[in-house]
Amino acid sequence: MFGKKIGTKRKYEHNVAGYVFISPWLLGFLLLTLWPIIQSFYLSFTQYSLLDSPTWVGTGNYEAIFQKDRLFIKSLVVTFTFVLFAVPIKLFFSLMVAMLLNRDIKGMSLYRTLIYFPSLIGGSIAVAALWRNMFGLDGYINHILSWFSIEGIGWISNPKTALSTLILLSAWQFGSTMVIFLAGLKQIPKDLYESASVDGAGFFRKFSNITIPMLSPVMFFNLVLGIINAFQMFTSAFVITAGGPANSTYMYVLFLYEKAFKQFQMGYASALGWILLLIIGLLTVINFVASKYWVHYESEGGK
Amino acid sequence: MKTAKPWLKMLTTGILASALVISGCSSSKSPEASNTPAAASEKNLKIMWWGSDGRHEATNKVLDLYTSKNEGIKFTPEFTAWDGYWSKLPTLSASRTLPDVLQMDAAYIESYVKRGLLADLSDLDLSGIVDENVLENVKIDGKLYGIPLSYNGQAMVYDKAALDQYGVTLPQNNWTWEDFFNFAREARTKLPSDKYPIDDLRNIWEWYQFYQTSKGLGPIFKEGKFNLDKDTWMEFNNIYAEFSKQGIVPKADLQLSAKENDPQTDTFAKGRVLLRGSSVGSATAVEALLPNGDIQVNSYPIGTAGGGWAQSTIFFSINADSPNIEEAKQFLKWFISDQEAGKILGTTRGIPINSEVLGAIESTLTSGEQLGIQLLDVAKTNALPFYPAPAGAEDFTATYKSELEAVMFGQITLEQAYETLVEKGKAAESNNS
Amino acid sequence: MTAEAKRSWRSHLILIPFSLLMIYPVIWWIGASFKSTAELSLPSLFPEQWMWQNYTDGWAFSSKYTFTTFFANTLMMEFWNVLGGVLTAALVGYGFGRLNFRFRNFWFAVLMATLMLPAQVTVVPQYILYNKLGFVDSYVPLILPHFFGGGAFFIFLVVQFIRGIPRELDEAAQIDGASVYGIFFRIIMPLIKPSLYTVGIFTFLWSWDDFFSQLLYLSSVEKFTVGLGLRMFIDQFEVQWGQLLAMSLLSVLPSAIIFFVAQKHFVEGIATTGIKG
Repeated sequence: MFGKKIGTKRKYEHNVAGYVFISPWLLGFLLLTLWPIIQSFYLSFTQYSLLDSPTWVGTGNYEAIFQKDRLFIKSLVVTFTFVLFAVPIKLFFSLMVAMLLNRDIKGMSLYRTLIYFPSLIGGSIAVAALWRNMFGLDGYINHILSWFSIEGIGWISNPKTALSTLILLSAWQFGSTMVIFLAGLKQIPKDLYESASVDGAGFFRKFSNITIPMLSPVMFFNLVLGIINAFQMFTSAFVITAGGPANSTYMYVLFLYEKAFKQFQMGYASALGWILLLIIGLLTVINFVASKYWVHYESEGGK
Repeated sequence: MKTAKPWLKMLTTGILASALVISGCSSSKSPEASNTPAAASEKNLKIMWWGSDGRHEATNKVLDLYTSKNEGIKFTPEFTAWDGYWSKLPTLSASRTLPDVLQMDAAYIESYVKRGLLADLSDLDLSGIVDENVLENVKIDGKLYGIPLSYNGQAMVYDKAALDQYGVTLPQNNWTWEDFFNFAREARTKLPSDKYPIDDLRNIWEWYQFYQTSKGLGPIFKEGKFNLDKDTWMEFNNIYAEFSKQGIVPKADLQLSAKENDPQTDTFAKGRVLLRGSSVGSATAVEALLPNGDIQVNSYPIGTAGGGWAQSTIFFSINADSPNIEEAKQFLKWFISDQEAGKILGTTRGIPINSEVLGAIESTLTSGEQLGIQLLDVAKTNALPFYPAPAGAEDFTATYKSELEAVMFGQITLEQAYETLVEKGKAAESNNS
Repeated sequence: MTAEAKRSWRSHLILIPFSLLMIYPVIWWIGASFKSTAELSLPSLFPEQWMWQNYTDGWAFSSKYTFTTFFANTLMMEFWNVLGGVLTAALVGYGFGRLNFRFRNFWFAVLMATLMLPAQVTVVPQYILYNKLGFVDSYVPLILPHFFGGGAFFIFLVVQFIRGIPRELDEAAQIDGASVYGIFFRIIMPLIKPSLYTVGIFTFLWSWDDFFSQLLYLSSVEKFTVGLGLRMFIDQFEVQWGQLLAMSLLSVLPSAIIFFVAQKHFVEGIATTGIKG
């Protein structure tokens, strides 16, 4: 997954140190994570209600998912749509805000905190109430629209707009992506900009020649994790729309959760989980391959 | 160095705090150990319920009371919010760590019974404590798996002040579905355009089921067989489609933005819809939403077979694998019949199932609870049995909601929705067997 | 000087309305947390009658336990989570980001894959495992994972930051006779400080919100976290809105404070450390 360059240059020079450093994770993985993962893989070939013992059904769950389940297709369409829009919007927005906040002016700490605040409440149970207040029929948005004599609609209760509203919500909670960009921006040596200024470079040239390449490892991180997280989007669909109206926000993981804990079909849900793993895995591999062409690593001499 | 200081402080406070908690952990380990039959003379019952804080406090006191009266019976209470309870229970079940006594809800109990997780309590003598009919009603396949704790039921509430203000003829007890629909039609002509007589509840499968059962056609799943009566269903939905067109019911996006008993969006709380159904259990919530409203109670629309329902929906059940089934049974019998316990518990689990206990606390009821009692009285008159979705029909009920929402927004036709429902209904039939 | 002042003035001009826009729902939240249930149905931002009881009653919770207990529990848990996460994410991140060892790419792929399998399908086997180990109804299942690298998200984050650091620095140190361990502590650690603050902040924020695991693993009330306490205001038929909104507003304050304090450290970091070794 990493560039081949280091691999061939000094092959396995840190065999011991490497394992020493990764040992916390490796131990945890082998002791605590591996077994549940194996279990869930096994369960995906069973019928398992959680309330009684699993029974082996072979590839039955997978067949049922691919051949019969219309909700599987529906939730995939919803999820892909969400990923396609939410990820780029959030990345763009958070990069812009990070650049705005990456300045040394008075009160910056306060601005950062205020702007980060919406992201703090992401998982809070109050967020559903907040969101209804914003996007409900009598909500804030419609209130503003009414100044321009536009009649509002129920943004989260209309199948035409519910998904877009959730995409907007995810963009509004850009905080964590933004913070990572901010940390990345702080890591760019200032003298690079200074010497570029001396050379007479303007904002856009500095942005494309210094910021983008220096920030690319972090950007790559945000892209990869943004996609993974967007595919696993659950909380807001669960809390705010419960998948509705008319399944218009029925995200894949919500579908999986309901199969597992509401319909007592853990085997089926496990199969769904492994299908999701394959989908995300494939996209991530593509991402890593593509990264060789645009991500710039200082540690590898630029490429 | 400046930055190190707060961290250092945090480190010390953290270590101190954790030392406290860890010592707390180890001390609380011991009762769990005594749960195993090692201590034969002393029984430890694990008991679990969901609910609000008032319920927890009262229940804890009652458990202490029982322990003081019965040497050797101890409890390990565990409680969570309703929210998480039904996600936690399957997990406990999967790890074979269900508590000895667990609170159950009518909507879920069958799933647990079908998997053999709950003990049969039919031989517990509850005569003179719980009404025979009530017990018959809550039996599953002729056996009792949950001790009913309180009465519940469903009737309607309306805002009399608002209806009077616009001169709308008030609903009558024991009205028919025809009356109900005519009430809505008439009210439309008198109400301002942003107020509606009734909700558009097409996407709630129970709402249609009330219609079907009141006409004597039985529930959607009758003895495990899929029993959605096409003509009745079409008729019902066409009436609502017509209502929607004429603005008798709220537009779909307004309707679906409403969350029941949420003060910001509940159509009744907002004064948008003037008549709606309410269960006994949610009476206090309704009362809290409209503290100044003039809330009156009315029966459900009635058909040839009756209408509405009145039945217990909260139970205490016993884990079939519990080593302490007998002790748990005796405890539950005491729990619902003891006067002293009843006084402490009050209405924290609804209107007490035992009439003597209810009599003892009647004078202390709040106005919301009195509204609940009124609802119950009205609901009882023509009550039909309560028909929860059978185990295995979860996919059907979820599909019902989404399909009918698609109909409400005009995305699919009623005929298309019907076909999907038949398919899901048949699938549920085979799941259930 | 004037150009600089002008620029900062312009920044304020953008930042003030933007902050207000972002924070509007929170202003509503503050107002709503003082409302009675009946008043919540009104569109006004602030109540006519300020219900301070929402805070006092909410905090008091029950005769045995108050939110003081829940906050203390949660902060204690958070302390270990952050400590574990920051320490081990840095170690593992360095291992993956800088060192060459056999099967590194394989293990890294495994690490990434653990992110891709939805937690919902491993939660039950995980619970059974912890139950067998006797860790149920303790904080161990909540804290322990943070000491094992803090999760793939953070490890990968640190990896990306480390790969952004020029290798000449390590090489210079290597020539001076430093071992990989020495390089890690003396060179890399100081340089990745911004990302470690990020790890710390996010560990704090996310474990605060991780309701489902807390629900599964903590069953005695004396061990409840704030998240579990808050859920108690939501009952089957009725929600105590005022108390819920009041206490959930208080529950985000520690996160906000932590963020406010920690974000300053982004300003330090590499820019002042100097890159030229």
